[in-house]
Amino acid sequence: MSTAAHPAPTWSRSDRVPWYIWTGAIAVTSATIGGAWDVSWHRSIGRDTFWTPAHLMVQACGVLAGIVGLWLVVNATLSRDRALRAASISILGLRAPLGVFLAGWGGVAMLTSAPFDNWWHNAYGLDVKIVSPPHTLLILGIRAVAVGMIFLILAAMNRAASHTPTPGAAHLDSEMWDTTTYANPVLFRRLQILFLYLGGLAIGGQMFFLQEYTADVQLHRIAPYIALGIGMPMVFALLWESSRFRWACTVTAAVYMACIIAEILILPLFPAQPKLGPVFFPLTHLVPAKFPVLLIVPAFALDLLWQRTRAWKPWQIAVVSGIVFTAVVFAVEWPFANFLMSKASENRFFGTMYFDYNSRPMGYDRLRHFFHPDHGVALYKGLGIASLCAMASTWLGLVFGRWMRGVQR
Amino acid sequence: MNDLSELRASSVQSSRPKRSAVERSLHFHCNRAAAHTFLARIVLALLATFAIALPAHAHVGNKDVYQTITAGPYKLFITIRTPIVIPGVATLEVRSVGAPITSLTMTPLLLTGEASRHPPTPDAMKQSPDDPAFYTGSLWLMSQGSWQVRFGIDGAAGPVETSVPVPAIPIAMLHMNRPMGLLLGGLGVILLIGIVGIVVAAVAESRLTPGVEPDAPHRRRAIIAGVFALAAGIGSVVLGAWWWNVEAASYAKNMHENAVFTTSLTGDTLALRLAAPDPKEIDRPLRKRDLIPVTTEDLLLDHGHLIHLYAIRYPEMDAVYHLHPAPTGDAGLSTQLPAMPPGTYKLFADIVFSNGFPETETATITIPANLAAAPLAPEDASAAPPPLSAGELGPSYKLPDGYTMVFDRPATINATTAYLLRFRLLDPAGQPATDMHTYLGMAGHAAFVKTDFSTFAHTHPDGSAAMPAVMLAEQSTEAASGNSPSMDTMTEPDGSPPMSSTVEFPYGFPVPGHYRIFIQMKHGSTVETGVFDAEVH
Repeated sequence: MSTAAHPAPTWSRSDRVPWYIWTGAIAVTSATIGGAWDVSWHRSIGRDTFWTPAHLMVQACGVLAGIVGLWLVVNATLSRDRALRAASISILGLRAPLGVFLAGWGGVAMLTSAPFDNWWHNAYGLDVKIVSPPHTLLILGIRAVAVGMIFLILAAMNRAASHTPTPGAAHLDSEMWDTTTYANPVLFRRLQILFLYLGGLAIGGQMFFLQEYTADVQLHRIAPYIALGIGMPMVFALLWESSRFRWACTVTAAVYMACIIAEILILPLFPAQPKLGPVFFPLTHLVPAKFPVLLIVPAFALDLLWQRTRAWKPWQIAVVSGIVFTAVVFAVEWPFANFLMSKASENRFFGTMYFDYNSRPMGYDRLRHFFHPDHGVALYKGLGIASLCAMASTWLGLVFGRWMRGVQR
Repeated sequence: MNDLSELRASSVQSSRPKRSAVERSLHFHCNRAAAHTFLARIVLALLATFAIALPAHAHVGNKDVYQTITAGPYKLFITIRTPIVIPGVATLEVRSVGAPITSLTMTPLLLTGEASRHPPTPDAMKQSPDDPAFYTGSLWLMSQGSWQVRFGIDGAAGPVETSVPVPAIPIAMLHMNRPMGLLLGGLGVILLIGIVGIVVAAVAESRLTPGVEPDAPHRRRAIIAGVFALAAGIGSVVLGAWWWNVEAASYAKNMHENAVFTTSLTGDTLALRLAAPDPKEIDRPLRKRDLIPVTTEDLLLDHGHLIHLYAIRYPEMDAVYHLHPAPTGDAGLSTQLPAMPPGTYKLFADIVFSNGFPETETATITIPANLAAAPLAPEDASAAPPPLSAGELGPSYKLPDGYTMVFDRPATINATTAYLLRFRLLDPAGQPATDMHTYLGMAGHAAFVKTDFSTFAHTHPDGSAAMPAVMLAEQSTEAASGNSPSMDTMTEPDGSPPMSSTVEFPYGFPVPGHYRIFIQMKHGSTVETGVFDAEVH
């Protein structure tokens, strides 16, 4: 490793969060709101065009990410901002922070998905399901933009936390958790808040992928617990490790739950009528998402656990975490699902009286009946599988999270 | 995909019970080849710039609905251009030709069953600023099957509802054209190179203190990570292509295929049989289901007959018969053929299923010389026009009994444009015939056939929708709204007093080319068949 002949970078002197980081956070927020709105649109109205406000909010994410990316690439590549250039990586002669390249990749993926999706509609018809190849590319693109923005903040945050400018600082990761001396504590705290906010949106993004399994009528099956075990501990672990915040899981889970509860409170205020038939459940307003999984409880348990296991090896932490996560989420969500099936939850807060326009009167959802519940041996076996999945997921998250803590650029 | 120019004209509907091995192989092969890998798709896209067109359903090669409808004092001329993929967007054009209207709404819903009783909120159609009597709109048809579009009409005479049946099926599967293939392929390569570059740079530099250059071990680790990223990227592309293949195959399996139509000629008796995919096997794709016989209970009576059979001599179109085979009691239908000149005949058989879904089945038969023939049945009709090779027929057609049928042919006719095509029957003195009657419940019957036999439509003065489907739509509307708009479709039962000698058919020719038109009208007890030619641009 050789030290470049540049003078010391000047980026850490200001307490202000750079405009491009704010813009990136707004871009991801826009895609999150647009995505939720679009799903609600399809559940309430059914039919749409390219120009719905929900679609425009998703596209705005790509546009804002593109503006941020272009500005950073031009400035870092053409050396207009030497500090920026020093804190960048190089791909095919272009320079920019890692997060910008990730977001740029996401932007190209989103861009590619548009003509691909249009062609798909022409070839195989309009969408009857969310998960099609072009939609997957679009979702992948949005997630890449979101992850890119997280990395953009992370690098700035890691630099602000860095107590030594010497080469090889990354090797000090394992000691940094409590002993970090902040080069710029004010900036670090601001960036950390933004990071946790975007982390919460990432939790929401992950839960979006799992929603087919985690609907309330499914919660007495084993499938949602396996799905949660695969999908969630990894994200919690990497956010916990990389955010340097002891309550990272609790806070990010709270952000996710607050977003969904806000959706339940806000979306029904907007009028909407189904434009596709058959309409088995007449509507006069937008239908919100189902009440969120009570992730804040297992997240709190993970925070408590990980605060006490920092000296452990990753695999040891993963084994215990997998069991704790699955046990807590099961202990909380299983009885809570009973409440969601009851009349008591049919109110503006829990929102279990909202249904899609095409929800059949005799369907499980409308009848508030659990769909094919699991019990006995199948249930315990399933919980075992869910725990194993959660262990593997935690381990991956821990390893990658620790790597992320060293990211400087 | 509303751009018909991207499609090849639909080839003549299979005249075999099942598609030929070649046709199946082509379809299968194209689907498979199109989905092997992403790169293979791109290469294929360079070669294949057309779509595989599949047989149409109602009529042959005529997917759009042209219909006039009378509801109270209001009269609408409606064109519904159905999508060629389902789910898809149908576009509507409506001209008000009756009492002035102030607003027009449209609602898509299934024609029969529980879903037909749960319509969505109507959409207002858009009034043309230049032509206040002209309205346009578009709506989504979300599944294949027998649909209706319900119109809410309002004007000085108050609100009225009426419906038009719309059969919706996917009739084509697009292949990627060259520019789109290149665009997506290029972006795909950028994404692949991009992700590898990001991984390499991330491993080499992202954890270094700003300003520090990566050393050799970092670079080495970066290259190894890049190789893994490339492998993972290629793996993802292959996995994606496999998924694409599965989706394309699943779509292809649910493509509509007409009932299997078989014919046999014994003496002068033509026997017909129909078989269709078992509707009970709802969990299996259409093309994987067992075929079961279509019985007469599965069909609706159309003008008193279960099947309307046109036999047109191939290739000169110099003999045409409109026949009505009757049920034989063993799930088949049969008819005794009249005297027919020997040769090859193309058969076009219109049927309507109990859900209002119409199909035109096709077959080819050979009539031997010296066929022992029965006389033409009273409700059957025939004509023996000059062959196509004798040149284009004029707008005036001399009938065997001295009458003349006249086609007020537009100066130019363009494909996919809606026309009201007018025909007049003149008596031997050249005056409008005065002893007119309905023929099979209608003022007239028209068959529009492309001279290469690739398209066929049997329509009526109210339009191209099948009569039983129109009646189902009316029943559905009445059940929903309580009103009973009068249709001008069934106003004249057979034997009613004489009526106008002029009939108009709403119709749009599907593709450019030469067409032969067969028009049937009845005066006294004589069913006349006038024959005309049309050049469509």
